[in-house]
Amino acid sequence: MAIVEVRALTKHFDGDVHAVEAVDLATTDGEFLVLLGPSGCGKTTLLRMIAGLEEPTAGDVLIGGNSMAGLPPRARRIAMVFQSYALYPHKTVLQNIVFPLKAAGMAPDERRRQAQWAADLLGIGHLLDRKPRHLSGGERQRAALARALVREPSVFLLDEPLSNLDAKLRATARDDLKLFQRRVGTTTVYVTHDQVEAMGMGDRIVVMDKGRVRQVGTPGDVYRHPADTFVATFLGSPPMNLVRRDDVVVGFRPESFLPKGVADAGAEALTVSFHVHRVEYLGSERHVIGTVEGLGEETRVIAMLPATVSVDVPVERSHEFVVAAGDLRFFDVGSGLRTERQRL
Amino acid sequence: MEPSGQPGMTRRRFVQLASGLIVATACGGTGTEPGEPGGDAAPAPSSSIVPPSGQLSGDLRILQWSHFVPRHDQWFDDFATAWGEEVGVNVSVDHIDLAELGTRLSAEIAAGEGHDLVELLSPPSAFEPSVLDLTDLNEEVRGRFGQQTELCTRSSFNPTTGKFYGFCHGWVPDPGDYRRSMWEQIGLPDGPSTYQELLEGGTRIREEQGVHMGIGMSNEIDSNMAARAMIWSFGGSVQDADENVVLNSPETVEAVDYMARLFQATMTPEVFAWNAASNNQGLIAGEFSYILNSISAYRTAQQANPDVADDVFFTPALRGPGGTGLASQHVIPIYVVPTHAQNPDAAQEFILNLVANYSAATYNTELYTFPAFRDTVPDLDDWLTRDPFGSVPEDKLALLTDAESWSTTVGHPGPANAAIGEVFNTFVLPQMMARAARGETSPQEAVVAADAEVRRIFARWRERGLVGGQG
Amino acid sequence: MSTPPATAAGTAGTAEPGGRYLLDRKGFLARVMLLPAVVYIVALVAVPFFLAIAYSLSDVTVGDPSFDFVGLRNFATVVGDPTFRRALLNTVLITVVAMALVVVLAKVLALVLVQDFRGKWVVRLLVLLPWTTPTSLATIAWVWLLDSLFSPIDWVLRQLGLLEGNLYWLGNEGLAMTSVIAVQTWRIVPLAAVIIMAGLSAIPSDINDAAKVDGAGFWRTLFEITIPMTLPVIAVATLFGAIVVFTDMAVVFVLTRGGPVDATQVLSSWAFFRGIQGGDLAQGAAIALFLFPVLLVFAVLILRSAKRMEVM
Repeated sequence: MAIVEVRALTKHFDGDVHAVEAVDLATTDGEFLVLLGPSGCGKTTLLRMIAGLEEPTAGDVLIGGNSMAGLPPRARRIAMVFQSYALYPHKTVLQNIVFPLKAAGMAPDERRRQAQWAADLLGIGHLLDRKPRHLSGGERQRAALARALVREPSVFLLDEPLSNLDAKLRATARDDLKLFQRRVGTTTVYVTHDQVEAMGMGDRIVVMDKGRVRQVGTPGDVYRHPADTFVATFLGSPPMNLVRRDDVVVGFRPESFLPKGVADAGAEALTVSFHVHRVEYLGSERHVIGTVEGLGEETRVIAMLPATVSVDVPVERSHEFVVAAGDLRFFDVGSGLRTERQRL
Repeated sequence: MEPSGQPGMTRRRFVQLASGLIVATACGGTGTEPGEPGGDAAPAPSSSIVPPSGQLSGDLRILQWSHFVPRHDQWFDDFATAWGEEVGVNVSVDHIDLAELGTRLSAEIAAGEGHDLVELLSPPSAFEPSVLDLTDLNEEVRGRFGQQTELCTRSSFNPTTGKFYGFCHGWVPDPGDYRRSMWEQIGLPDGPSTYQELLEGGTRIREEQGVHMGIGMSNEIDSNMAARAMIWSFGGSVQDADENVVLNSPETVEAVDYMARLFQATMTPEVFAWNAASNNQGLIAGEFSYILNSISAYRTAQQANPDVADDVFFTPALRGPGGTGLASQHVIPIYVVPTHAQNPDAAQEFILNLVANYSAATYNTELYTFPAFRDTVPDLDDWLTRDPFGSVPEDKLALLTDAESWSTTVGHPGPANAAIGEVFNTFVLPQMMARAARGETSPQEAVVAADAEVRRIFARWRERGLVGGQG
Repeated sequence: MSTPPATAAGTAGTAEPGGRYLLDRKGFLARVMLLPAVVYIVALVAVPFFLAIAYSLSDVTVGDPSFDFVGLRNFATVVGDPTFRRALLNTVLITVVAMALVVVLAKVLALVLVQDFRGKWVVRLLVLLPWTTPTSLATIAWVWLLDSLFSPIDWVLRQLGLLEGNLYWLGNEGLAMTSVIAVQTWRIVPLAAVIIMAGLSAIPSDINDAAKVDGAGFWRTLFEITIPMTLPVIAVATLFGAIVVFTDMAVVFVLTRGGPVDATQVLSSWAFFRGIQGGDLAQGAAIALFLFPVLLVFAVLILRSAKRMEVM
């Protein structure tokens, strides 16, 4: 097991494209670290630099405390699972799994045993003689994982390994993967653009945008205490409501924005007038869409009422809604960064 | 062979000739450029038309080679057109590369249509079943213009069928070409006259001057000619006068043995590789002391490299141990009239007129092509002794005045029949020479193998009734 | 063609219904589209092929196309001819060796060409030039390169002090054969490289990355990943090249004319010398027909490779 650390890691493509800009990060030992961000934010490039598939423009990657500068992927004791799984199509599952062991010069018997162990661990022991094209999507993903696992690397690098699975399979695969990682205890860096995956699996989440790290924290941290307006709006569905008020932006989560009287919001709760335009019924919850008045600029916001709140909210009328004081977040208008809480 | 395998060469030559002509014209035709009529030599002969015996009409389509002397084709095309206008025939002449002539004629015969008159440059005996018998024409021309050179008759007449399958209007001698400066140093300024001298002199030149000799033994025409000249001069031959195969003889073995020794002493393996242009290039470049070729290489040098040309001299066929000296004709222009010809009368009438104007024809090939009917070119000896095309000295070509006496047909001493043609075109003789020279087999074994191959070829053509003899 | 011109004449309304929608009918259009291919195959493949068979069983000559059946006698003569046996052996040898070289060189070239570098397109274009140059023209250039006296290759070797005098490339049996194989290889490599390049580009970049991460070095990646994955493409490129080389006569004809002696004679050049130049068309056809079974095998193999590619 090892700690992965990157220092001032930078990657520029063709001079002008700043894919990754001076990123500093460190995992803890055995951690499941998720790199989360919209597509093009540089998370995959960062992962590929850790893997050694991409040469950094500047900065350093350290694994287990050792600088990896100039070392090829095979010298880094890492294993990687690709979005496409990158199984070798002309090799059987077994041949795929033993390939890294062969490259490492392991004896055939030992290889076979190791492969069987990895395959059994992932529940594909019975598929060893199949070619990848005869496997289902889930089986392929497991085969790719088995290939990554088999030589007991010190770091797993996973590049959106679930995005090619259908939605139903993805949920179980997420569970399996997390359980599996916990069992083997290997430090894992996991790239995804899916916040549900990130929140559900990450010990910590690194939120990235435009090549820079916006925030690093536990799922609870980044959700409840977003470092800036980007994180605030990228995480959560629907995202955090942001209302500009003078030189500050006031933020509150839709689920914290409730009709007055429904919940005990405490003494310092903020009460605002909410002009409702539309209500969406989504079964377990209701999204109430409208405009807040009197807080700052008139802004379109969303309130999310759980099904347990049955109070009627007629449209095209103003209602009194409240946000508990502890649920209010404040950001600087200019930089978007979180600022001190303010009295409203 | 002409440097036709070397397009760059012919083009260069063409440009030079063309510019030479322009200069000559600008000087009122009195220029003395090499390759141009100069001094007080006889002026270029003019052409005249022999009136046809009957009424002619329609088209006459002629196919022949692109002569390596461009001046000839200019003259020929003008002459053919003028003749056509005079007699009421619409004449068109197509010139193609000589290597394609046979292929083209085969295709036209297979298709059953094409040109009315086709000129080939080797005896077209294999085409006999598909061409008209030109016996009447041959007799008519002989009646008017006297005897035909014998090697021409033997290249166009098949004694087995009694048929003239072609009409031979000219032939090209194949003398030896040597560099006088090199042979002078070893005391033979007139070059070798016997094969023994060739071997001894060539050996000394190689040893003393580091220059080797270039007599080909590869799958091309000059090598074929050289092998035949050597075999005949040593007293052997492929067939006898009655078309019986007699290749396997002590004389042939001796010739092959000689060639092997000549190779060892004077040549390098390049002679197994070269193409038709190699010996020309080598002679001009000063890499060879002696080659066997028509005067084409020399005429090229006159333009490209006058100093070298002045050092190139000629020998008649070298004599073998028995005193015989024979060389094959170099190429031999022979017309055939395919059976599919639409206008055979005009074709034959045209041939008659060409013969009547052979002075102009020979002159315009720069003395490359000799007449089949000697009497039609009365000035030939005069031209050869005082070359109108700028030789230094002007009598350099005088030895060719009796070229007929040391030249013969590829079928010697018999006719140039179809079997001889296949032996020629599958390069049996140069390969026989090469095998021995390379030491693959003894001269005796090489001759035995070649003899067997020649017999197979003869047998097949005898079955088809085109070749006589038994063995 | 059969497009109805009637509409243009202002008689659109009255155009016969059958003609008007003729092209819309699937079967009709398919047949029309197929017609050129059928004509092509019949005129340029079937007719010459059966003509060759007919010739080989007859005694036709260039000057006498009249057909007399002689059975298999031509084949018996041909097989008994040492030059033929040499030509057959040479043809196979040249093809096999040239193709072995082509596979290696084209693969290397393709690997270089798929790399990203400045001026890649210029280099690719230059590489493809030998293929686009007519064989006979290109071979004439080689005749000069391999000239007995003026060979620039010899000159370079002399300048490097590796050679005295000349090698006589085409005058020496082994070197002549080497030269023919070299020219054939030089001709085919560009095409094969481009085909293989297409195959290489079709390998997902993830696969190469995976191999890197899995610890495979250059050679292991080459032999365990790249080559197996491009194998069907390599097979097609090779077989295609083999057909071109196997049937080619231009290189031998221009370069060596089969020499020295018959050391570089191949089936097609020998068929030409014997059949066309020598006049014995029947025997020439019999010689050429020996190309057929091998070509048939090549064709079947190509089709099978193509099918395997579809599956991958």
